Formats: sequence, structure tokens, C-alpha cells
Amino acid sequence: MKKISRRQFLGMTTKAGAATVFAGIFAPSASSMLGLGGVAEAATKKIKPFTFAVLTDAHLYDIADHKFDHILEKAVSDVNSIKPRPDFVLYAGDLGQSGKKDELIKGKKILDKLKMPYKIIPGEHDYYLDMGQAWRGLFGDEHWSFNHNGVHFIGMNSILVPDFWTLKGLTPKERMGMMEELECHNCGAWGVGEKQLDWLARDVRNVSPDTPVIIMTHSPLWDYYPRWNFQTYDAPQIRETLRKFDKVIAIHGHVHQVVYNEIDNIRSCGLLSTSWPWPYPPVELEYSHIKQRRADPGDFEDGLGGHDIALNADFDAIVHWREFSDLLPDNIKKGLKV
Amino acid sequence: MKKVRNMSFAAVTSVIVVSGALIITSMAQAKPPRSETQIAQERAALMTAVAKGDDLWHSAKLGNNGLACANCHPDGSATNVHTWPKFQTNLGKVGTLREMINWCIAVPMQGRILEYDSEEMIAMEAYATFTHRGVAIAPAKDEQHGAVPVKSGPGYPRH
Ligand SMILES: [Fe+2]
Ligand SMILES: [Fe+2]
Repeated sequence: MKKISRRQFLGMTTKAGAATVFAGIFAPSASSMLGLGGVAEAATKKIKPFTFAVLTDAHLYDIADHKFDHILEKAVSDVNSIKPRPDFVLYAGDLGQSGKKDELIKGKKILDKLKMPYKIIPGEHDYYLDMGQAWRGLFGDEHWSFNHNGVHFIGMNSILVPDFWTLKGLTPKERMGMMEELECHNCGAWGVGEKQLDWLARDVRNVSPDTPVIIMTHSPLWDYYPRWNFQTYDAPQIRETLRKFDKVIAIHGHVHQVVYNEIDNIRSCGLLSTSWPWPYPPVELEYSHIKQRRADPGDFEDGLGGHDIALNADFDAIVHWREFSDLLPDNIKKGLKV
Repeated sequence: MKKVRNMSFAAVTSVIVVSGALIITSMAQAKPPRSETQIAQERAALMTAVAKGDDLWHSAKLGNNGLACANCHPDGSATNVHTWPKFQTNLGKVGTLREMINWCIAVPMQGRILEYDSEEMIAMEAYATFTHRGVAIAPAKDEQHGAVPVKSGPGYPRH
């Protein structure tokens, strides 16, 4: 993947409004890519089996040689070592910590070491210093879709909150500082907002119901723990729009932990970070056996890692949390069938 | 126990040392009950400490690598304040919550530890404990505990 083609790849996301096809520039090799026929293939329920990888929540600081830099580097080499090689990588947000351009530039430099192309969405930590300006300059659109081997992939920015800063006269730095707190007292619940809801409706309008769909957002599409924004306030509308599909797999960052839920036709998986694990919030989980064990705070890699997701022809997915240390219970050590 | 000597115990009428252990007994006192105002003032003093602890908890200034306590412990969760003192592997001994706070400052946050009886340390402990109000004391219980859920805000008035 030459630099120029990656830039094109990142730049040409949602310009067309509806499902964009990336054949040629998207795939590492033309043969691994059947995207041109994506929707039509899906109508006959055929996926050409493939694997993709997911990374998220690096929270890079604008501090040289920071420990989180090394953990992201490690996750990138881990993904590069996966065999067979993942066709591409998705990144689910919070690449930086305080929304600084230098954090995002550092993150992009590390992600560019991936041997396959990647697609990325913003998290709140990337965004609220300059309202996503630096992020968009580096990575392009905040929402996008593409077809790959018969699967329709969607990425959306789920961290948009109503303006809480103007009336209070907050500086961008103060606004970012508040958003950096998980339990922010003033920030309110976030979501994708009207514009992206409209976009989503248009995007899937002509996609047939038996098409396998995978959607990535920074936050979960269900009410896990709204106090920590382990939620997306307009997730009910998103779920309604996606209700016509036989099966949807949703993946999300932000929670920094293994968590699983099913709601309507959606199977939802929370992802490991490469920075620190969040504790499980004080709520009952329906799938409480799909959890990681508590981490040792003295081991800076405990509870962290990346992911690979393997899809077979019938859209059975094996979601594999690639935890650096051994904190997964036996039932999901080798992956979870989703 | 050398600090005890410097403290003033208004209600304490006798201090007896029995085989090395310090036992404080309180006898019937003629003092009137504390007034509403007094109780409110004492409560406000605690909440000031909790609020100060909240600010410190969320401040990167205690560490040297950008991290704050709240990075890993939002709402004071996973501090398990109700389980201390206990044997803690990272401390390598039976230790206290304050020792663990200092360990977190020194190791994951690469910062300078606080004096154990400093205003800052007491404020941090006050914050962590307040977020677990009502949770039953359970020495060494090996289960991570979330903070007491509150709908919005910190669960107490901020000034
Ligand atoms: Fe995050
Ligand atoms: Fe986040």
C-alpha cells in the first residue's frame, strides 16, 4: 500500500453518499477483493470468507516515548503477524487522548506501519479540542461505508454531544478537558445526530435485507452504562434503520473491555483498548460469561490487545480478542462465535 | 501512635494503655448534642474534602505521564475502598488504601507520592470512599466493585 493510495482510500469514503466501493485501491491485492459485486453477491448470501482486524483506544499522549506508544506499536505488529493476513483493519476511535494534532499525527505514523489498509472513526478524545478538524485533515470523513467480499461495512461518529460549552464560555481546551473525563458532569449523552441518521438511512436503502452488515461506532449501540457514555443516545433509531437486515454485527470501542450483548438483530461486541482497561460498571450483564478478568495494575499490558474477526460464507463470525496477557476465560479464549 | 498525643479529644475522658494497645474510653458527658448548624458545617467540611479529592483524582498533575487516577478509576470505581486493609500483591504486604493510592501515583502514573496524612491524600481517600457510600465493609473481598451509581453530576453538590 503506497502512501498515495492510502490517502486516496481515506479520502474517498462517503463522498458518493451511499455505499462506496473500494476495489483496486482498497484491497492489498485485487484477488482478495470482491467488493465491486458486494451488494449483488450478498443477495445470494455468499461471503468470500476473509479475516479483518480491529484496534481501538490507544489514547496517545503528546509525550515522547510514552508507554501507550509502545503498546499501540505492539498491537500493530501483532496484527501484521496474523495469518492468514487480515484484508484490512478497522480502528474504532480514541487514537489520541486530548485531541491534539500531534497525538493524532503520532498515531497515524504508527497505524501506517500496518501492512494492510485501515479505516478509522473518531472517539471523543480525538475530537473536542478542535471539533474534529485535525482528525478530518488526517483521516477524512467521520462516517463511511464500503462493501467487501459480500459484507456491507459501516462506520459512524457516535460521540457528538449537544453544545454545552458556548453558554458556559468554555475554551476549546476546557471543553476537551471535560470530555476527557469518562464521568463528565456537564457533557451529556452523545450520539450520531440527525445528519448521520439520514445518511445511514440513505446508505442502506438499496442494500438487500439478507446482506451481512457490520457496523462500527465508538460507543455501544445499546444502553450499557449511560453515565460513562457506554451508550449512543440515538442508537434506537440506528437499530430501527438496520432492523430489516437478517443479521448485523456491531463492534465498538470506548468501553476498553470485553463485553457482549444482543439486541434485536444486532450482535454487539466491545473491544479491548491499547491503553488501560476500564472497570466493569455496576450493572448486571445479560452475557456476563463474556467478560475479561480484572487486570493487574502493575502489568501495563494486562487487559489490553487487538482483535481479529474471521467470517465464513454464512456470515458466522469468530470474534477473537487478542489479549496480550491471559485474562480471558476459557469460553472465549479462542474466540466467540457471533 | 505518636500522633495521638498531639490531638485534642474533647469527649475523651480517659486514655488507658493495656498491654501495649491503646484503648480510648468515653464516659457519660454533660455536653449538649451537636446543633443542626454544627452538623451541617461538619458535613460541608467533608464535602469540601470530597470535592478537592475529586479534582485531584481527575488531575494529571499527580503523575508525570499525563495519566490521572480517573483514567482507570472513573467515579472512584475499582478502588474497592470497602476491602482495605488487605494483602495487595503490588505492595507485597497487608497495606492500606492510602498506600495503594501512592503506589498508583508512583508506578502507573510515574509521579511523586503524597504524604500519608497530607490534605491531598485525605481528600483523595474522602473522594474514593464517598463514591462507595453504603457499600458493606468486606475485608479482602476479591471482587472488583463499581462506584455507587448516580444518575448525573458527581452525586454531591459542587461549588
Ligand atoms: Fe477510550
Ligand atoms: Fe472513548
